[in-house]
Amino acid sequence: ENSPAPLPERAIYGFALFLGSWFGFILYLIWAYVPETWLFSLGLTYWPQKYWAVALPVYLLVAVGIGYILLFGINMMSTAPLNSTHTITDNYAKKQQQKTFQEEAIPALRDIPISEVNRMFFLPEK
Amino acid sequence: MAEERRFRSASGAPIALRRRQHSASCRELAVRGPRLQLRSLSAATSAVWLAAYGLFALSENSVVLSAAIFISLIGLIIYLHFVKIDQESLLVIGSLGIQLTSSYASGKESTTFIEMGQVKDVVINEAIHMQKVIYYLCILLQDPEDPQGVSEVVPLFQSSKPRLDCLIEVYKSCQEILEQRKTAPQSS
Repeated sequence: ENSPAPLPERAIYGFALFLGSWFGFILYLIWAYVPETWLFSLGLTYWPQKYWAVALPVYLLVAVGIGYILLFGINMMSTAPLNSTHTITDNYAKKQQQKTFQEEAIPALRDIPISEVNRMFFLPEK
Repeated sequence: MAEERRFRSASGAPIALRRRQHSASCRELAVRGPRLQLRSLSAATSAVWLAAYGLFALSENSVVLSAAIFISLIGLIIYLHFVKIDQESLLVIGSLGIQLTSSYASGKESTTFIEMGQVKDVVINEAIHMQKVIYYLCILLQDPEDPQGVSEVVPLFQSSKPRLDCLIEVYKSCQEILEQRKTAPQSS
């Protein structure tokens, strides 16, 4: 039911969005370029200030640029510091249950404590 | 018995590891970073003074020059006393505890002592640090309530940041002493 395959309804939504966005764009161009006097003579007097025709795109681009830096900063802030226990374990690992060891069966998947991992990696001398 | 070996830090700077065995259950491991280089010191001082001279040429105010001298002196003193760590050492005494010492370039030494009852283990952990993944040695402190849990992580050698080969040497030395406390009789 949730496949991304093309459907007739999706084609109609897409076409309606396409027409709508073209309409919006032509309207934006008319509002930005056509002098106010011409618009007033047609009777259309209640428009936002033309200042916004330039200000809004600039705001948008600056927001996108700041967004890159912001995302970078948020990532750095969310990284656990070197002295936090989150680099060693977490809630799921603390609450895991030990399954009984069965002979000749593959051991159950579990989070191995860091001391054991260290001993396995660094201690044996070959 | 002392031996010294050369290694590299995570950023490529040369560091030296000195291992001394005081007795069967007491070992001292010291990591010495590179000393303050004369060329970096003169480069920094010349940069600050050139910038101050440029400002003086623009503003014709001689306070800029004396301020630059003052700033570079104060900055150098603060750097030597609070930032530049020359040597970090780890003294592991089997039945007593672990002592961490950081010696600054100005001669200041700051020590931390962790008693053996609180030490769960000394491990090499990997973590993300400033867009890099580094290995670092850390002491895991025991959680009083939960015998399997870790209450705190104390990272070691933070300023010299040795690479994995140096860390493995330190790890093996520490583990030899920490293993003794399992076989030794428990003392209250």
